[in-house]
Amino acid sequence: MVSITDLKKISDYEWEIPVSYRADMRVPVRIFASETLLKDVTRDKSLEQAVNACALPGLVGSVKVMPDMHQGYGFPIGGVAATRYPEGVISPGGIGYDINCGVRLLGSRISYHDGKSYLGELATALNKFCPSGVGTGGHHSLSTKDVEDVCRKGSRWAKDNGFATDQDLRRTEDGGQLRGADPRFLSPRALKRGMEQVGSLGAGNHFIEIDLVSQVFDQKAARAMGLNEGDLALQIHCGSRGLGHQVCSDYVKSLQGVVARYGIELPDRELVCAPMDSPEGEAYLAAMACAANYAFANRQVLSHYAREAFESVLAGVVKDWHLHLVYDVAHNIGKIETHEVDGKSVKVCVHRKGATRAFGPGSEDLPPEYIKIGQPVLVPGSMGTSSWVLRGTSEAMARSFGSSCHGAGRVMSRSQAKKKIFGEDLLKQLERDGIKIQAGSMRGLAEEAPAAYKDVDEVVETVTKAGLAAKVAQLKPLVVIKG
Amino acid sequence: MNEKLAGFEEQSHTADLEIKVWGEDLTSLFLTAADGMFHLSGIEDYEEGFSAVKDTISLDAMDYEGLLILFLEELLYRLTEDYMLFSIEKLSINTDFSLKAKLKGTQIKSYQRDIKAVTYHRLNIRETSQGYEVNIVFDI
Repeated sequence: MVSITDLKKISDYEWEIPVSYRADMRVPVRIFASETLLKDVTRDKSLEQAVNACALPGLVGSVKVMPDMHQGYGFPIGGVAATRYPEGVISPGGIGYDINCGVRLLGSRISYHDGKSYLGELATALNKFCPSGVGTGGHHSLSTKDVEDVCRKGSRWAKDNGFATDQDLRRTEDGGQLRGADPRFLSPRALKRGMEQVGSLGAGNHFIEIDLVSQVFDQKAARAMGLNEGDLALQIHCGSRGLGHQVCSDYVKSLQGVVARYGIELPDRELVCAPMDSPEGEAYLAAMACAANYAFANRQVLSHYAREAFESVLAGVVKDWHLHLVYDVAHNIGKIETHEVDGKSVKVCVHRKGATRAFGPGSEDLPPEYIKIGQPVLVPGSMGTSSWVLRGTSEAMARSFGSSCHGAGRVMSRSQAKKKIFGEDLLKQLERDGIKIQAGSMRGLAEEAPAAYKDVDEVVETVTKAGLAAKVAQLKPLVVIKG
Repeated sequence: MNEKLAGFEEQSHTADLEIKVWGEDLTSLFLTAADGMFHLSGIEDYEEGFSAVKDTISLDAMDYEGLLILFLEELLYRLTEDYMLFSIEKLSINTDFSLKAKLKGTQIKSYQRDIKAVTYHRLNIRETSQGYEVNIVFDI
């Protein structure tokens, strides 16, 4: 186990595990954390997992770990690793099973004052319009050909079918359509699993939440995003559902025999990988892009139904009930990007597993309205606590491959949470705090209790003090829909 | 099945689920791992009468660890996609890392928890004085 004494302090918010820590490390680990958060992570295996990730061939710079880090499988959650493109490797386990799990934020011009009496009705309508829960599919039954289309086009498929606007596409990472998607690299099982699930939330830590924009820290950025203090906003957190899980499982399985062929030795077989210029690496990149596009379409279709839910309750009641997309970010993904490493511009594949892209001002990947302020970075808190809207900085580009944290990060296992917290008690507590909850199961609710997570405010304080992002607005939950 | 010689136990994992499984031989280890996975899925209520649907599984892998993951994935796929809970009527595991299983299944109405995947994380089947043991991490 890595202990605090193994770490070299770079600053109050940055620490290093040097390459000398273990013989198979190709690069060091850089951890962004306050001293308090660091103590949390030395209790589980997250740092050991970060060290394991340092064995991947083709890594550049260092493996970064965000302050919301916690133990995962293969990579730690909160891990960012960049491998030189195309000769470096891509590792499906470094992206995760829920490919392009991500979050989007929609803003509104509905003031809390006008909307507060309708929150109960909105909760019921969202629950009715947006399918959620274990194994639950969406409103659409697609053919295999349709699923292939979703995988090729992502949010554009949603637009072609009346579920998206041009602005929605523009305000989604990569326009909601990752290049290079080729459904020929998907297994029949992956395609089959995609047939019923477009526009479905799923379960676990996925949610839809109505929030109050409680405090604005950066008026200029908030104005560009259409966020006003005292108005309602909506977050959607979900991913690529069964199709994405199947893609990752298929490729982690098929790459088991491939690593030896390329002479790659790994400390954990969940880290299996292939050079991006190999047939196996190219196949995974094409399949991953399909799953990523499926997830973009999924969140877009859910947004459409959330808009319908708002319309069904608020049309004729408030002047403007529309929800506009602020931004949609992926936090489990591999992206081909260009970054500056040791003074040179290098094309890399940035693996972000439980980390959010946080491009700074001036990035050409941003829509025109965000070029001056930087990319909106969405950091959902745990259920019942604040969420944050941040913006990417130039420093993030220089120090973390343009990445920031993705949430609060767990500290307590699900079984511990269930032992300590009863779903019914938690429900009552949240309702006493004025938060309306619609949950599929009490057990699921207890597992996601705020006490099982780190303090999101401290995580956000850390990334902002480390310079990886800047605060724009704080959101407070009003209604939570969980599968 | 003898409780002492085969069983599973949930381990602490910050975000996902991990079980330790033990069995007197590989067959018992694989069967107990399947029981453990179904337990984590939260299948509490199902109709008896496992003979209604029959199925077979035929798999091969590079090693026993890989074979175990494939076996669990097959059962998980049938559970999450077809809502079928299968009991294993006959399981034969061969030294060339292949297996054949005869299954009898029953339709379930629901399960409590989505398991996204069975991972290879730190996967290692260990020989013990009692037989075999393995830790398996499930992504949820």
